[in-house]
Amino acid sequence: MKILLIALASLFLTGCASNGLYQWGDYGSFDSKLYHSYRNPEKALEIRQGLALHISKMEASQQKVAPGLYAELGTLNLQAGDVNKAIEMYIKERDAWPESRVLMDALIINVTKRVSAKTEIKS
Amino acid sequence: MKGVKLLLCLLGMVLAGYASAQAKKDFSAFKGASPRSILVVPAINISLNVDAPSYLLTSLTYPLAEKGYYVFPVNTVKFVLEQEGFYEAEQVHRQPPEALAKLFGADAVLYVTIKRWDIAGLILTGTATVKLEYRMVSKDGTEIWRADDMRQLDVQSNLLTNLLASALKDPITMDHKVLIAMSHAMTFLKGPNPIPNGPYFKVE
Repeated sequence: MKILLIALASLFLTGCASNGLYQWGDYGSFDSKLYHSYRNPEKALEIRQGLALHISKMEASQQKVAPGLYAELGTLNLQAGDVNKAIEMYIKERDAWPESRVLMDALIINVTKRVSAKTEIKS
Repeated sequence: MKGVKLLLCLLGMVLAGYASAQAKKDFSAFKGASPRSILVVPAINISLNVDAPSYLLTSLTYPLAEKGYYVFPVNTVKFVLEQEGFYEAEQVHRQPPEALAKLFGADAVLYVTIKRWDIAGLILTGTATVKLEYRMVSKDGTEIWRADDMRQLDVQSNLLTNLLASALKDPITMDHKVLIAMSHAMTFLKGPNPIPNGPYFKVE
């Protein structure tokens, strides 16, 4: 039933005018799992996997991934300690959306620094 | 299904009509700046609801992106701001907009202040009130859009109330989401003076 309500709300928002530009999955406004990742850190893994799945579905069907979703997945990966995946996602965001370039470049540089600092300590 | 859709569209019209008494806004500054990207910064909350800013932040992306703008990823933005030492919305709002825009490479910054957020009555009496103040500033510091937006949602004896009341495991949180999503959509997508379409907007 909850899904039905979300579907109804989506119809309400998009159905009256034109079709939406993007597929948001569970990561648009209505039941944003990104919000829940703040409130319930223990759900971070589930949310990260869900977002990764949503993005791979979009890519498989050659649909444009909604603005910000690659970057949000990147940040979730970073917070989980997976630096390489974080960088990969930040690069995808930057390539998909030129408007994100300044922020993504800054994040990529910072995260890369962090990795090399860690490597130096080890060696 | 069609009937439900029609009903929701009608509800939308009623809500849109509620705000239509406002004067037409001047969009010349907005069009002069013609932003492609919008940075949504954490909202200042002077309502009594402590959860309101988080709900708000995660629900702004959708209407703005569907309007054709690149919207900076709100969680990533929050993460970066915290790395920079900004934990409070008030701190962020006090920064010069030019500096924030430069830090993120944004064309415009959207500031929201939550003035009222009365949702508790939605299930019992079918009414709720949300009052939001929006202010968009271009990267050169010029204010390009402003809306002082009161949404009073009265869904008593409406199908939506029944749906809300019967369908939900956590009705209060779901109410927040539906209400705020509607409220934003009205303002940005189909309010009386919606912001002009962004660069990615396509007419089907």
